[in-house]
Parts: sequence; C-alpha cells; structure tokens
Amino acid sequence: MTNSIDEIRDSELMFVIGSNTTEAHPIIAMEMKRARQRGAKLIVADPRKIWLAEMADLHLQLKPGTDVWLLSAMAHVIISEGLHDRDFIEANTEGFDAMAEKVAEYTPEKAEEITGVPAGDIRIAARLYATTKHAGIYYTLGITEHTHGTDNVYCLANLVLMTGHLGVRSAGMNPLRGQNNVQGANDAGATPIFYPGYQPVTDSKVREKFENAWGVGLSPDNGLNLNVMMKEMAAGKLKAVYVMGEDIVISEPNVTKVEVGLNQCEFVVCQEIFHNETTRFADVILPGACFAEKDGVFTNSDRRVQRVRKSVNPPGEAREDWKILCDVARSAGYPMPDYENAGEVFSEYASLTPKIAGISHQRLEENVSGLQWPCPDESHPGTPTLHVDGPMIGRAPFQVVDYRPSAELPDNEYPLVLSTGRTLYHYNSATQTRRDAGPVAKQRSNFIEMHRSDARKLDLKHGESVRVLSRRGEVEAEVWVSPRMRPGCIWMPMHFAESRANLLTNDAGDQVTGTGEYKVCAVRVEKLSNR
Amino acid sequence: MNYPNQKRVETFSIEINGRSCRAISGETVVDVARREGIEIPTLCHDTRLEPAGACRVCLVEVEGQRRLQPGCAWKVYPDMKVTTESGRIEKHRTILYSMYMADHQLDESGLPVETGNGNQLRELCKTIDPLPLEPVNAPRAGRPDDVNPYIEFNPDLCILCARCTRYCDEVEAVNAITLSNRGGETTIATAGNRGLLDTTCELCGGCIATCPTGALIEKKAPENLVTLQTEVTRSTCNFCGVGCQLDLHTHNDRVVKITSPEPGETVNDGNLCVKGRFAYDFIHHEDRITTPLVRGTDGELHPASWEQALTAVANGLKSVKDKYGADSLGFISSSRCTGEENYLMQKLSRAVFGTNNVHQCAAT
Amino acid sequence: MQKPNANREKIIELLEHAGGVTEESVREVHQQTGIAEADIWGTGLFYTLLREPGKRIRLCDGLTCQMFGADSLANELTDAGKMVERVSCLGQCDLAPASLDENMELVTYAKHQTAISPPNEFAMNLAGEVDLTYSALAKVRAMDPEDVISALESSGLQGRGGAGFPAHFKWTSVRQQAATERYVICNADEAEPGTFKDRELMLRQTHKMLEGLAIAAYVIEAKEIYIYIRGEYTNEYRAIERALEESKDALKEYEFTIVKGHGAYICGEETALLESLEGKRGMPRLKPPYPTESGFRGKPSLIHNVETIACVPSIIHRGGDWFRALGKTEAGSKLYCISGHVVAPGVYELPLGVSLDELVEAAGGYVGNPIAFSPGGASSGFLPITERNLPLDYKHLADAGSMLGSAGVVVINDTVDMAKAAAWQLEFFERESCGQCAPCRIGTQYIRRQVDQFVQLGDPASLELTGDVGWEMEEGSICGLGMVAAKPLESARKHFPDAFKTRD
Repeated sequence: MTNSIDEIRDSELMFVIGSNTTEAHPIIAMEMKRARQRGAKLIVADPRKIWLAEMADLHLQLKPGTDVWLLSAMAHVIISEGLHDRDFIEANTEGFDAMAEKVAEYTPEKAEEITGVPAGDIRIAARLYATTKHAGIYYTLGITEHTHGTDNVYCLANLVLMTGHLGVRSAGMNPLRGQNNVQGANDAGATPIFYPGYQPVTDSKVREKFENAWGVGLSPDNGLNLNVMMKEMAAGKLKAVYVMGEDIVISEPNVTKVEVGLNQCEFVVCQEIFHNETTRFADVILPGACFAEKDGVFTNSDRRVQRVRKSVNPPGEAREDWKILCDVARSAGYPMPDYENAGEVFSEYASLTPKIAGISHQRLEENVSGLQWPCPDESHPGTPTLHVDGPMIGRAPFQVVDYRPSAELPDNEYPLVLSTGRTLYHYNSATQTRRDAGPVAKQRSNFIEMHRSDARKLDLKHGESVRVLSRRGEVEAEVWVSPRMRPGCIWMPMHFAESRANLLTNDAGDQVTGTGEYKVCAVRVEKLSNR
Repeated sequence: MNYPNQKRVETFSIEINGRSCRAISGETVVDVARREGIEIPTLCHDTRLEPAGACRVCLVEVEGQRRLQPGCAWKVYPDMKVTTESGRIEKHRTILYSMYMADHQLDESGLPVETGNGNQLRELCKTIDPLPLEPVNAPRAGRPDDVNPYIEFNPDLCILCARCTRYCDEVEAVNAITLSNRGGETTIATAGNRGLLDTTCELCGGCIATCPTGALIEKKAPENLVTLQTEVTRSTCNFCGVGCQLDLHTHNDRVVKITSPEPGETVNDGNLCVKGRFAYDFIHHEDRITTPLVRGTDGELHPASWEQALTAVANGLKSVKDKYGADSLGFISSSRCTGEENYLMQKLSRAVFGTNNVHQCAAT
Repeated sequence: MQKPNANREKIIELLEHAGGVTEESVREVHQQTGIAEADIWGTGLFYTLLREPGKRIRLCDGLTCQMFGADSLANELTDAGKMVERVSCLGQCDLAPASLDENMELVTYAKHQTAISPPNEFAMNLAGEVDLTYSALAKVRAMDPEDVISALESSGLQGRGGAGFPAHFKWTSVRQQAATERYVICNADEAEPGTFKDRELMLRQTHKMLEGLAIAAYVIEAKEIYIYIRGEYTNEYRAIERALEESKDALKEYEFTIVKGHGAYICGEETALLESLEGKRGMPRLKPPYPTESGFRGKPSLIHNVETIACVPSIIHRGGDWFRALGKTEAGSKLYCISGHVVAPGVYELPLGVSLDELVEAAGGYVGNPIAFSPGGASSGFLPITERNLPLDYKHLADAGSMLGSAGVVVINDTVDMAKAAAWQLEFFERESCGQCAPCRIGTQYIRRQVDQFVQLGDPASLELTGDVGWEMEEGSICGLGMVAAKPLESARKHFPDAFKTRD
C-alpha cells in the first residue's frame, strides 16, 4: 500500500477492485465502512455482488478477466474529457502520450460489450475517480491472479498517475496483502530475483555485498518463481523441494500437476505445524512452531513491521522455525551464526537491507504501532504514505497495455467461468480455522455460488450436491444459489482439502510474476444424482 | 507531514475545574478532559462510536446550563467552563451508581460481579457509599438457547449502554443485534431472538470487546477466568495482511483468550475479526506435529530425533544437489512465517545450497 | 450498514400492514426495504401496538379509567373469555373506563354524561362552524413572513403541548437556518393521561390545524408537512384524511403525510417523535442540537402541538393582540380537558388562567367530596383541593411545583386512595419509559415497586429512598419523561402525607 490503513477512514472516494475486502481483510473493510458512514463514495468493481458492493454507490459487475478493458476505458474517459492532472503528469511521469494513444482505442461502448459494464457507469466511475482529491484504489488478488495480472496492475497505476492520486492522504494505490506476512516475506528476499529489500540477485555489487556478509559465493542467475518451480517439478527437472509453512498441494493451481511433481521428487522436506496434503509426500517432516510460539516480525499490507512474540512453548519437540532453519544450515556444514534470538537475525537482515536499516526489535518495543518502511536509519520515524515528495526513483512510467483474454475461456464442453477465493471464516488451506467451532459452524464443507438462472438450467436447488469439472480435475461441492453471482460464472472457496478448488484451476501463470490464473478457468457443473 | 487539503481545525481554551485547557473544535468535554488527565467516568463511551450519552455516568456541570450535561457528547466552545467534581455531581454519581446496582447482579460483597472481562461498573461502585436500594428485577430477556460457539450474553449484567449494538451497526456494520422492547424490558436481541449463527453476525466478537460490564463474554474462555492468573503477550495476528495487534492471554502455557489492544493504540483500532479473536484452538490442538518424522525404508513416516531428522534433511538435499546441481533444488518459504524466517530460508537457499530458487506463496 | 437505497422510514408502517412483529413479517419488511432484520425487529418491539400481534381488547388503565373501575372491568371481560391487554391512557378519560375493540374502534363503558364548550368567541371554538375558506392562509401568502412571526409574537402564543415555549422563537430559528430543506411537523401524539383536547380539535376543527400547518410551511419555506398521530386515534386519523380531501385545492402546494404512532407515549417528546418518523425506536435525542436546527432527516424542522398550530389561523385573522386578550392571567384561550369526579367531563375552552373551581363549574360541578386534582396530566403530579383557586396557567402552576402541561385536569374525590393514585401514574411512566437512560429506566421501576410494596404492606420504610431516586431521575434523565416520572409520588407524599403513614 502506498498509504496507511488508518487513512482509509478519511477517504472521499474508495475504488475497490478485485478485493472482497469484508471477507479477506475484515478490519480494513471496517475502515472502509467507517469512511462510507462519514460520507465517502464507494465504487466496487467485482464480478460478484459482494457485501461491499451492496453498500456501494456504484457496482461495476464486470465479466471475470476483463479488467484491462474496464480500466483502460476509464482512462479513456478521463483523458478524453480532460480530467487528467497535467501538472502532476508533467512533473512526475513519462510515457503519457503513448499510453493515451493506446487507451483511445478503449471506448466505453466497446468496453461495455466486453466487460458487461454499462458504458454510462464506466463514465460515472471515471469522472468520480478523476475529480475526487482523496481517492484511493484498493485491490487484491482479483487483480493479480490472472495471466494478465501485471497488465491489470499497470492499468491501475496508469489511473493513479494520470490523476495525480499519489502522495496524497487517503488516496494512492493500495494492494491489500493476502497473508499476514506476504509483504515481509518479499521484503526479506524469499523471492527468486531479489535479495532482501528488492536488491536484484543479478546486480554484481549487491551480490558482492551479500557474498561478503555470508562468507560464500552466490549464484548470479535469477531463480525460478513458484509457478515455474511447480512446472519444472512436474517436468522432472526440479528434484528436491523444501517446503516451509505452505500446503502447495492445496494452494497452487492445477494441483494434480503439483502432485505428479512431488511424486517424482527425489527428496521432499516439509516444515509444518499440522499434517496436510503436502506432508503426505514428505521424506522428512520437521515440526515447526505457530505464531504464538515464536518471536519475530510480520510486515502487513501498509508496510508496517510489527512484532510477533512468543507467548507459549511449542508442543512436544516442536521448535521455533528460525531455529530449525539455522540447524539445517549447520547440519549441511554452513557456519550459521549463533543467533541468541530472533532479534539478532533481524539485525543481520536489516544491516543488509537499506529500506529497513532503521528498524530493530528494540525500536519495535518502543513503537507499539510498529514502523512502516522505508525506514533507512534509527532516527527515521517510518513512512506512512509513500511518494509524498514524488515518485521514489526518477519518473514513474505510464504503461501501454494491450488486452489479452484469459488463458482458458468457456466453451460448449466447459461453459462456466470459475473464480476461486477466500471466505471470512476460513483461511487458506484451513488447517487452523477448521479446527475451531465457529468457522466450522458457519462453513462446514465446500460449496459453489451460482446464479439462479444457471441453477435453473441445470435443475439445481440450493444445497444440492454437484460435481464441478475442468480440464484438469473434478471436485464435489454443495451448490449455493446466490444473487451475488453473474450468470455464467461460479465461485468456489479454496479452503477444503477434501474438495480442492485447485484441482480445477489453471496453472497458466502471469508472464512477469508467475502468479496462477485462479480467477478464471472454464468448468462444467453436473448434478450428482444424474451422473 | 503536511497533506494538502487537510481540514482546518480551530483551537481555543476552555476551563475545566478552574484549569485552563487547550481544546480543538469538534471535540467533546470528555476528549479534552482525558487529554488533560482529568478523570470523567464513562460507561457507554467508545471512541469508535457516535456518542450516545445514555449511561449518564459522565454528567458534568456546564456554566450556563441548568441541567447536568453528558461530557461524552457535549461539544466544546471557546471559554466554556466545566465542573466535573462538585457536591451535586457527587450526589448524582452516588445515587446513579446505586440505581445501577439495583439493576445488576451483585456478588457477596454487594458489588457488581467481576467477570473474566472485568466490570467497569464494579470499579465505579467502589468509589461510592451506595444506597441500599432493593433490586428491581427487570424482566430483561436473554437468549439462553443460542448455540453459537463464541459469544454469550448475560442480561443480568447488562446496563443497556448499547455499545454492543452500536458497534455492530456503526463499526462492524452487520446489524445482527439490536436494542429490543422498551423500558425495564429493554434488552439486547436478535431478529426473532434467533441464535447468532442464524443472523447476519460474523462472530467478530467486537460486542464482547466493547461491553463495559462483562454482560457479553467469550464462551470459549475458561469459566474461572476471573480468578485465573494470566499473562498477556502483545503479538501480531497470523491470518490476513492487515496486521492486527493481539493480546494473547495465557495460563499454564496455554492461550486462553485473545483480545485487541485498546482503540486508538494500533492499526486495528481495537477491532478484530472472527479468526483473529477466536480461531486459536489450533495452537493447542492434538493434531499438532510434535516430533520430527523421517520416512523409513518401509515407506512410512517414523518419529525421529532432531539430530536424525536434521542429518536426513542435510544429506537428502546435498545428494540431490551433488547429482543434479544446485538449481535442481527448490525452497518454498512461507508468507505465514516471520520476516526472520523468510530471511533465513532465502539465506539457506542461496548461501548454503547455492540456488536462487526460493519463493513463497505470495500470490495465494 | 444502511444500503444506499434502503428505506428505513417505511418500516414501521410496513410492519403494521404485515400485522405486527413476527419473524415472518420482519423478514418480509427486510426484503422490501433492505433494512437489517435485527433493526426492524428491535424497532417494531419498541411499539406496543406492533407487539404480540393478534386480536384483542385494549383496556385503558390511565388514572381516570382506574378511578372508574378499569380493574374490575378487566376481570369481567377476561371472565367472559375475551383477550384483554391493559394499555396506557387511550385519551378517552372523559369516557372512562374506555377501551379499543379488536379492530381498534373505540368502546366506552362510561355511565356518565360528557360535554364540550358551547359555541364561543375563543380561538378554537370547537362547537362552532367549520371554516373551509382557508382565508387566513390566503392572507398570509400576501404577507411578509416576518410579519406573520410578529403577529405570533404579539399574540403571546405558547406551546400547548406542555412546555409552554413561546411559539414564534421556533419559527424564527428555523428561518435562520442555512439548510433549505425544511419540514413542518404536527405533533398529534396526544397520550398524556388525562388529556384528550387534541382529539376533539382533530374531530371538530381539523381545518384549523391544517391551515395552521400550511401557514407555518409558507413562513418557514417548507414543502412537506408531517402529521404524527397516535395509532389509537382511529376516528381522528379518518377525520384528518377527510379534511385533507375536502381542502386539497387550498393545500395543493404542500405535501401532507399522516404518520401513525404505534403505542409509545414517549413519541410525543419531539425528538423521539423525529426518531419514530425516521423509522427508529422512539428514543429521545440528546439536545442540542434542537429540531429547529437539526430535526427530521437532520434538517431544520418546526414541530408544534395540534392545539398550538390550530391557534394560528385565528391569530392571523384577528390579530395577536386579540388572541393575547382572550387570556386571563396569560395569553390566549386554552382547551382544558377535565375528567374524574366532575359531573360532565369533557373539553372546555376557557381563558388561560381560570381556576379549578371555574373550570369545574363549566363542567357541571364536583361529584362527591374532592380532595385532590392533577392539573396537567401525569407529569404534573397532584395538588390538594385547597389550591382550587390557583390560576391554571404555566407560571402559577410551575410556582406551585406542578405544571399546566397539556391541561389534562383530573379531579379526585375522597373515594380514592392517594397512594394508589400515585402508583397508577407511576405504572404509566414505568411502562412508557423508553429504556434508553438508566435514571429513568431503573428509577421508574424502582419507585413503582416501592409504592406497590407500601400499598401492600403499609410500611413507610418502603418509600425511604424514593426521594433520592426521584432526585436523580430529575437530574440525570435524558428527557422530560424521566425528569417528571417521580412527580406523582413526590407530590402525593408532600400534599397527602397521611396517605403514606404506616397502615395496618
């Protein structure tokens, strides 16, 4: 997020796209509701009539995978009506003309044909967004989990830059992070192309710094992202995996392929707190600790580094994960330093990472609400809003984006579009939440949401059992006839191990990030009794 | 930091108990008094909610006003004079608290009962010499048949300050609970007095957190939470990316309750969702993996010592690396784990095994 | 959270059409309006007429009806197999004991005569001819609005609902507001025990009220006029509907909406009335802001009692000075309700400031040996009959520790136990407390219990702390109901100490 969570309440306009905020980020949604009650306008773009859409001024119920059209048409309106911020563009950006030329092709009328959103609504949304000062964009995986996810993000960035909604309180470009420490894991370098702090592994100066610090030579080549790793594993090229705290056999797209890969692996290590679908393939399982049993930091969506503190001991012989990783390194013959505590690990990490160099466990003790990076030195108070003084590095580029359809579109055999996602009550593979009575009472087993017109065609009643099939697999679930859906689209949560949504999803990945296309794949639904 | 277009605020001084205090337009008497360290008791006040002025505990004297006025709702204006301590206010508090006691469950000592979530009314009543009013036995209905697993309502401890219903409407905005009936029968109800699972309730438990008297409590906390010696550890929620701060209450090496820090302190402003507040049974669940496991020649996983397991991991990875090269290894870190652990995982991948094949589930 | 298109204002009416609050009706109204089910449920159950739907007889247990044997009547009806609900004052004290039948139609069991003032030269002239010309409105439309307000000011007209606040202040205040969306609201939620004057006015001189409202709308530049009438006034509701039909040409510039109350006395409190109009529980708001600044829908609103607004056309016609001179000790004529132990209970229009004796004389004299009277509804408490010559006006009664209130006068003779009389009034306040603030909610319960206990056991110790509790109710309550709810006991103990001595 370029801005902070507490700024949301002072918004004048919130443009929420591809984010079911009330379910996936309930507490951020509370700030949105607060802003709404204080009179802020709300525009929601989502194929589903999500809870937030019901209290929105405008709901743009687009067809899944047509975001580039919607957003480019909004850009079209803004530019053709002269609502863009020329001074900001002049001072802070480059490439406006090329982008403007491109979006000229995306008329609202054509966009209506492709997205299903009335051209009039696109115009209203564009005007509202462009002419409101404190207008923030909020998005999540509905934007990124596409083969053109990066394009979607570029389109949003174009809107932000052309209206100058950057460096302004309660405005900006705000991806809401899906997991507690997505931001922190990326910051810490758990990414194939960056060392900690987004320092490229291909940069020899950077590499030298890390080689000196760690006392070993390092690979100059970019590594594989997760999506590609899964493919290489299935192709028999990746031979061993070490999986910590992730159930890839539930959470990766097209998990059948993942299972094939894991079966082929010569060696699989899992570091986990519960047995899950992935640990079935493990050669060694190392019992880790949950968040309540260890020290460290999580970094949230608004770049806020906050402490995790040990409050109870891990059960049995289970150990803090940071200790396990050190032990593994030492067993492999690497002289990992004798860190006394997680704070010392953090100090080493911070000493190599300029963005967070000013943060330490000690400082976090004193700052109860955490510290937001960039925080380059110990006297720096942290940065609640990014880009207050213009873009961080040089000029921000506009991007020219061509629409590409999703990798797999519905056809006669698989006539429905499936999107997947989270619910309020469960979390990811639900190894935690399905062990608690409340979430289970609310959602016991897997379901699909379906529009009544589709249900009628298939002669389905609410609560009936169905089989959902894609080219990659099939699962059983209950059907919930839901007014939230678009006709022709169904939705399924990803939480249920016995009925894995990701048996169905498409592992075609985004060209840049490798993120799988969880939001669009073609499926067929069959009534169970008919089969 | 200067943001353009920020609302202009006007500051001026007001007098509280003869003391000059700086005040900002839009503030209430309680806002100013709290900042100045002047104690005005409140029960129905919550900074996240519109003032209700319903509990009447915060009544103060405002110069020029015939009646006592609620400090939580009374807006400041330049040069206003407020008195928070006087014979009249003392008499008011004594009788009002005594009346509350006549409408509240008392313990053997004659004070409002202590609960696992405290009882602010009890604390207030300790400050007076109460009148011995006979109990009114208000016919306030509860929902004893509500089978939801988390939230319990005890009407005998309810003072009808409506913080819970206002929270449910104004903050969580799901409108699952409501004030119902009238007069002495007024109570907190759901539509049709249904159990919370059959309402729009999302089980966030914010009603519990805002309840000042413990009329709403966690069902899953131990019954003897009142007397239990617990320690509190501040931490960060391990579910989504909002980064809510939590206070983990522990006893005997077990988490027995999770609460939010006070409103205004942290990013979550006193709020939590159903997962953050309640979904902690997994921590001490019997299904936890408690020992290293190594797959034997029989194809089954067997308990092993840490030394055996660590050696197996090191040897297993090294032998693959030796056979196929470092880039035949993949390290899948976790966005559920800490920053330090992610740092160490990439260090393990890069420095120990020589590959940049390290990533995590960032996109799911 | 409210959806942008949700329509909260309609929920109470929709609940009524659906037959009251049930799980099904609440779900239905939720689907019709988008308002959360819980909010509909909680709002509906605030109003007694929407509770426990099902047909039954509603039998009044107001003070006068109690004095005329409501309790034994209830027993008789129950014994006859009828479903009987005891309800707060129905505004039919002259017809005591009174009830509403299963279809909300009035049924009286009175065994005495009633009367109203004969035709006269006063402002209301209830029995006089009905003027359909709307000539006062026509006159006003040719006037500067400020001159209308000046006429009001010179008339000395005070709010007839009970507070006695000079009327012109409100008009001026609304006109001073920046907001141009403004409302005129008529408070026809007459429900103070002993009071039934607006009832007669609405039945007999409806057009005076409508014309007054239209004049007000003209002066404050409002387009919409709301009439909030208590739900028990079935005939009066019809009378207004009929009058609106009769005068639709004269009133065509204004949009009139009649909104029914549903059995909540507190909705006669103006901010509770606003909440109710907005489809909420009738819980009074904190003041400030006052309705003249932020009223219905948060907009400036002019709220007047039926009688107040109905005085306006006569003032326009005959001038402020004429109206002022109608009064004896204060300005204007006044509708006095009289019931209880008098020969001909009814509504009598007399100069403001007549004494009890003068009023009772108009009503045919006392019945039996009078010992006490309640001059202005339950809120005014009791005065001893020795005050029979006191002017019944705002100032003199306030000085005597009572109030004119709604001028609902009840005369009590020596057949009545004053402790019981106090208990009846206390029960009324207990039942009608909205429950929002603790002093009133707990206080009304406590005091009624203690008096009941005294009546049962005869031990004055029961009453020892009621004074303190009453003090806090007056000091600490949000609205006027809580402030006066201890008054019946306090005044009865003060003036009739013998009734509260140890009993055998």
